[in-house]
Amino acid sequence: MAAGGWTRREFLRGMVVTGAGLALGACAPKATPKPAKDKIVVGMSRPLSGPLAVVGDSAFRPVYETFVKEVNDAGGIHVEEYGKKLPIELLVYDDKSDVGTMTRLTEKLILEDKVDFLWPACGTSFIFAQAPLANKYGYVLITAEGGATTIKDMLPSLPYVFVTLSFSDWYQLPVLAQLLSKKGAKTAYIAYIADLHGIEYSGVAGIEFPKVGIEIIGLKSIPPDMKDLSPIIREAKAANPDVFCCFAYPDQVMPATALSMELDFNPKAWVGGPCVNFGFYQTTFGPAAEGVIGFTSFNPKQSDAARALAEKLYTGKPKEIQDYWGHPLYWAGLEVWKQAIEKAGSLDQAKIRDIIATERFQTVLGETWFEGGLLSKDCHTGEIGQWIKGEYEVIGPEKWATAEMVYPKPPWPKG
Amino acid sequence: MVTTIIEVVITGLLMGGLYALIAVGLSLQYGVARILNISHGEFIMLGGLTTWSLYTALGVNPLLSLAICGPLAFALGFVIHRTLFKRLLDTAASPGVFESNSMLAAFGLMFIIQNVALIAWGSEIRGYSYLTTPVHFLGTLFGANRLLTFGMALLIGLVFYLFLNLTRTGKAIRAAAQDPTTAGLMGVNINHMLALCFGLGAAMAGVGGVLISMCYPVHGVMGLEYTVIAIIVVVLGGLGSIPGSFMGGFILGLVGSIVTFLEPGLALVAYYVIFILLLLIRPTGLLGR
Amino acid sequence: MKPGRAYLQKLGGPGLTLMALALLATFPLYASVYSMTLLTDILMFVVLALSWALFSAPTGYISLAPAAFFGVGIYTSAILGRQWPLLLTIALGGAISFCLALLVGALTLRLKGIYFAMFTFGLVELIKHFWLWFEIRFTGTRGRFVAVVDQQTIYFTMLASFVLLLLTTHLIRRSRWGLALRSIGECEEAAAHIGVNVNALKTITFAISAIFMGAAGAIIATRWTYVDPYIAFNPLYSFMAVLMALFGGMGHPYGPVLGAAIFAYLEEVLLTRFPYYYMLIFGVVLIITVLYLPEGLIGLMMRIRRRVVGGPDAPA
Repeated sequence: MAAGGWTRREFLRGMVVTGAGLALGACAPKATPKPAKDKIVVGMSRPLSGPLAVVGDSAFRPVYETFVKEVNDAGGIHVEEYGKKLPIELLVYDDKSDVGTMTRLTEKLILEDKVDFLWPACGTSFIFAQAPLANKYGYVLITAEGGATTIKDMLPSLPYVFVTLSFSDWYQLPVLAQLLSKKGAKTAYIAYIADLHGIEYSGVAGIEFPKVGIEIIGLKSIPPDMKDLSPIIREAKAANPDVFCCFAYPDQVMPATALSMELDFNPKAWVGGPCVNFGFYQTTFGPAAEGVIGFTSFNPKQSDAARALAEKLYTGKPKEIQDYWGHPLYWAGLEVWKQAIEKAGSLDQAKIRDIIATERFQTVLGETWFEGGLLSKDCHTGEIGQWIKGEYEVIGPEKWATAEMVYPKPPWPKG
Repeated sequence: MVTTIIEVVITGLLMGGLYALIAVGLSLQYGVARILNISHGEFIMLGGLTTWSLYTALGVNPLLSLAICGPLAFALGFVIHRTLFKRLLDTAASPGVFESNSMLAAFGLMFIIQNVALIAWGSEIRGYSYLTTPVHFLGTLFGANRLLTFGMALLIGLVFYLFLNLTRTGKAIRAAAQDPTTAGLMGVNINHMLALCFGLGAAMAGVGGVLISMCYPVHGVMGLEYTVIAIIVVVLGGLGSIPGSFMGGFILGLVGSIVTFLEPGLALVAYYVIFILLLLIRPTGLLGR
Repeated sequence: MKPGRAYLQKLGGPGLTLMALALLATFPLYASVYSMTLLTDILMFVVLALSWALFSAPTGYISLAPAAFFGVGIYTSAILGRQWPLLLTIALGGAISFCLALLVGALTLRLKGIYFAMFTFGLVELIKHFWLWFEIRFTGTRGRFVAVVDQQTIYFTMLASFVLLLLTTHLIRRSRWGLALRSIGECEEAAAHIGVNVNALKTITFAISAIFMGAAGAIIATRWTYVDPYIAFNPLYSFMAVLMALFGGMGHPYGPVLGAAIFAYLEEVLLTRFPYYYMLIFGVVLIITVLYLPEGLIGLMMRIRRRVVGGPDAPA
């Protein structure tokens, strides 16, 4: 390896070379002057590679790709200020599922590329890092994947940030608790992923379940990366709860489902998510998915708009890519964004922000509005879903239910 | 109580068998070919995704996929060694330079294979349900798929062990590992043996991926996770030792299941504590030379 | 010394050095804000790669611990950044990393070659998972918001730590200390026989290199806004440091600097211009580099210099 001296001159010369090189490197990608307005440029930093690619590519990506295509096929978004329709142009960067890269690329989009709009990064912790940035530069940010009680507390200080996804106490678990108690569930065992998502869901369940008389008889955290969950499933089985909740990601919920079958653990209600809400859950487990409960926000049967959206997103595509929880909410978020631009008649972020914050919109969910930065829970067209006869039905709240909850769930199929 | 102990132990062993199988290939690649193959997990991923495609599109039984993915991965590994690593070996000034350069190249391979897989399969989670039925065994229940994968892992490991110890090629590989120069003088085609080794390591990863897909969902970015597990197991067992890899796999599996039983939050901490302690106490691994 | 030097000496010298430093120091005056952000990140990688090479290049020990020290710095900033002044946080991040590295160095003295690399890799994962468990168990949450600092301050502190690191590297390499380190790299037993206190030397150098990794973490955390154990202790940053240093070539101290700067810039271009094929292109570039530039970029530059200048100027 390295041998030989390193003289002062070499050192100095090296400094020169380095300094010049660095300065040159950083100067090179100079911003190009903005051309006359003939399109709306939307920038995104997405996890196209790395561990989060799994989430991002099945959650928001199919939605925004379909949305952009639909809008552009219709000529674009009409902006009064320019007196014409402007098509959307997407500028997508790969953040490698790394927060440091994501924050840098977000700043690049805002400062260097001067995009007209910012669309969200993927994942709750990424939103936490991106939201203050968007707010600082005065960019409206309507989030997609991710949402948490913690962000609810932050939103008053982030006027430019709007959260679309429903989450634990907004308003899933209270509905779940009601449904379960109505059917007579008395005990629950909770396994949760050791991160913000799991902590919040288990925490909220710890409040909501006892309220309706469901006792929590087991609570275990699962570290991410852990492969073998059988000790947890065995313990849950030994505890013999009415309800088993697995508040974790597909990497845990899928093996937990398989293990429940293998170990013949069949509680009266098996709740898991995010994961159960995806089409791939049903295509993987087939008839065994029957009766499994997850989170949701709509069902195509609910309205013509819902059916139209399902057709747009899923026709001619494998069932695996379906996501009845996230997709409709992300879509509604994009619809709100488009309508707000049309109402504002300009691309002015502050104007658009005020419109989103105060007005009401017609989206796939029906009348849609934001409350304190969160998509109002009154706009949700469902919270809890269940696989019934191969369909992911909304079972709660009652107002939106497309099917009656199956309780107890049928036994796992044999063979 | 007894049942609980049996459950914990067997659960650990079942997991350990899988761990061992994915480690054997890496152990061979490093032990003989001196390549710390960071792209090992990508071959596992390829095996898993291919099996998924065959199963869901054509209904091919995953056991049959073993016979498809193994040879394919072998061919891929063989070619990669013949083209890429052989050249590195020829140009490297010293073994140290070769080790760091081959690691760098393996990183490159990892990036390339992963990107190609993302293009071919997308990054969505892929899973299928195979033999997820309970089997009564020693007074308690186990998944049929887990027992099957465990049996296959043991069988493949054993066949491989016998191959190395009993056949002419196997002996040549071991000779090449111990003393490449002398082995070369004795008429062993070293380059051929190294490529063979790398290919066999890749084949092990490929069949490991097939077995993993029977129990776990697979996706395009899963590789590195398994590479890390394989590295831990290899270090536990000793680089280049097949029985060592199995022992390392079982130990890791057992520690995992015991700690998960007691305090799941510490399961991965325990993995790394064991790993680090062993390195401090016996750096060459349990069965290393 | 060597024929090429005399010619090139005329080009170098204190004047140009000052100019280069002045260029970097006044960069925020004429460059766009984003260029500064990008340059901060590039400097961060330069600091990581160069501090890695400070210990690993002369001794030949491949350390995969940068992410551990980097993460310690990040968490120091995340925990204390709201109450403490920035410089104190950075200093503390460096100090904690230093102590951790002393401990690790003392423990791992007997590990050689690949085993040392494995140990240091395990260390990052151990800290990550332990910290994750600890936070969930005892503080009931995971993840923290970091006090945000303005871009210029981040840039200048990163630049300052880079300059300090360069000076340190330079001083160590020119001293008997550096000579002794290289003797360890060539033959550890022989070094011990001629009276080099091998263990103390390795440990202290390892710990000094950790200071800069910790400091870099403490600085950059202020730009990341939100961190959790998975974000902070990401082994990717260990791999990056090693890849960048090897890519640049370790035949010369400026290899890692050059490697990190070009590598980081290339990555930025690929992530933004070819996001869907970033890994593919990156992998191909890596492999081509290994195949055709086994000595790294610095090796190539030396070869070019030899051709231009002439004479048997072997790589240093």
